[in-house]
Amino acid sequence: MRYVDEFRDPKLIRALADEIARLADPGRHYRVMEVCGGHTHAIYRHGIKSLLPENIDLIHGPGCPVCVLPMGRVDDGLSLTQYPDVIFTAFGDMMRVPGTHGSPIEYKARGADVRMVYSPLDALKLAQENPDRHVVFFAIGFETTAPSTALTIMRAKALGIRNFSVFCNHVLIVPAIRAILDSPDMRLDAFIGPGHVSTVIGCRPYLFIARNYRKPIVISGFEPVDLLQSMVMILRQLAEGRAEVENQYSRVVPWDGNRAALKAMADVFELRPYFEWRGLGFISQSALKISEAYAEWDAERRFEIPGVRVTDPKAAQCGEVLKGVLKPHQCKLFGRECTPEHPIGALMVSSEGACAAYYHYIHRAAAVAD
Amino acid sequence: MMTDLSIYGSCTLDQDGCVTCGDTAIPVRVLEVRGQEALCEDRLGQRALIATDFVAPVAPGDVLLVHLGVAIARVEEAGR
Repeated sequence: MRYVDEFRDPKLIRALADEIARLADPGRHYRVMEVCGGHTHAIYRHGIKSLLPENIDLIHGPGCPVCVLPMGRVDDGLSLTQYPDVIFTAFGDMMRVPGTHGSPIEYKARGADVRMVYSPLDALKLAQENPDRHVVFFAIGFETTAPSTALTIMRAKALGIRNFSVFCNHVLIVPAIRAILDSPDMRLDAFIGPGHVSTVIGCRPYLFIARNYRKPIVISGFEPVDLLQSMVMILRQLAEGRAEVENQYSRVVPWDGNRAALKAMADVFELRPYFEWRGLGFISQSALKISEAYAEWDAERRFEIPGVRVTDPKAAQCGEVLKGVLKPHQCKLFGRECTPEHPIGALMVSSEGACAAYYHYIHRAAAVAD
Repeated sequence: MMTDLSIYGSCTLDQDGCVTCGDTAIPVRVLEVRGQEALCEDRLGQRALIATDFVAPVAPGDVLLVHLGVAIARVEEAGR
């Protein structure tokens, strides 16, 4: 039997840390971005940073869809609560995300019919149970989440459920990585690639990072041994002058991803020409909208959407943190005006955001060290 | 020999982090197939009906990764 202990084995962890110390060139500074918020948390939770030499910096990437969603989209979604027959549904993690006039939970407190669902399939069930109402699902997430929305819309069509629609905010991880790589102040050496997003999209979509930008990327698991092994693989590539896509998490991630899920996404969604990301600005072809074939289930076609634009406070330096130019605590607002209780910038909004994770685990230690 | 589900991730059916992050998935084992759904159990013995459209066909004993009630990967096949 295989136990998780093998991925937390202290001897193996020590050996990997020694290997990292041996591979890291003391005359060089390494900047490695972990793209996904799940990795950011695992790195802090397991104290991985303390096992790395000081010249290896871990940069926290854009891997939190709540954090990168512009406030205007929250306002647009919540505008649908003005229709008396609408039941507005969202994930629990969305309920506290602030719009200009409050979060979904605050709208609910003021009397709007806002309900929390665990899965888009639950929202569809709610529509079946309430045939005289219209259920809107506020969809958000990367490629791990988009297949469940696609499946829900396909089921709505197959079952002929017409009192249901989706306000779609699904975003794609690869264009975000490309935007970071194209940024003039980009100073990254390599990437730790997302684990579960890659179960859906596979490893191929990352090939451009290695081929066009000559940066190594290693798809990684979430246990201490996974993360350290990924770091060894990255340092070996850098030491040998290689830039490749490698899959450390092969026990979970297939090279080709999940073809059935990708097919469903291709049927139900199409690319938006551009989409705004908080902290990164407009990125072309970086988000999904509902395709023509499923237009009937698209809340943006069924309802009039105001198209609100809300500019983030200039003092918040989310973009610089996202691109790895600044550490979270080096932002002027971090821990003072901007806290998890009162988030101002994008990355403090969700618990998976880089600034929220930093605040939660290490900001005091970092402040002392500085 | 059955694998400890936590080698595929620490999430459980009632604790799966921030679901919108999307880079979380719950490892579960299939107990019973019911059409396009399967009754599945996580490492703590909690059970749920999971949509298996994207990993079909599944069989009892298979290990699936689940996100938002939908299986997104089959990581182990039981005796097939």
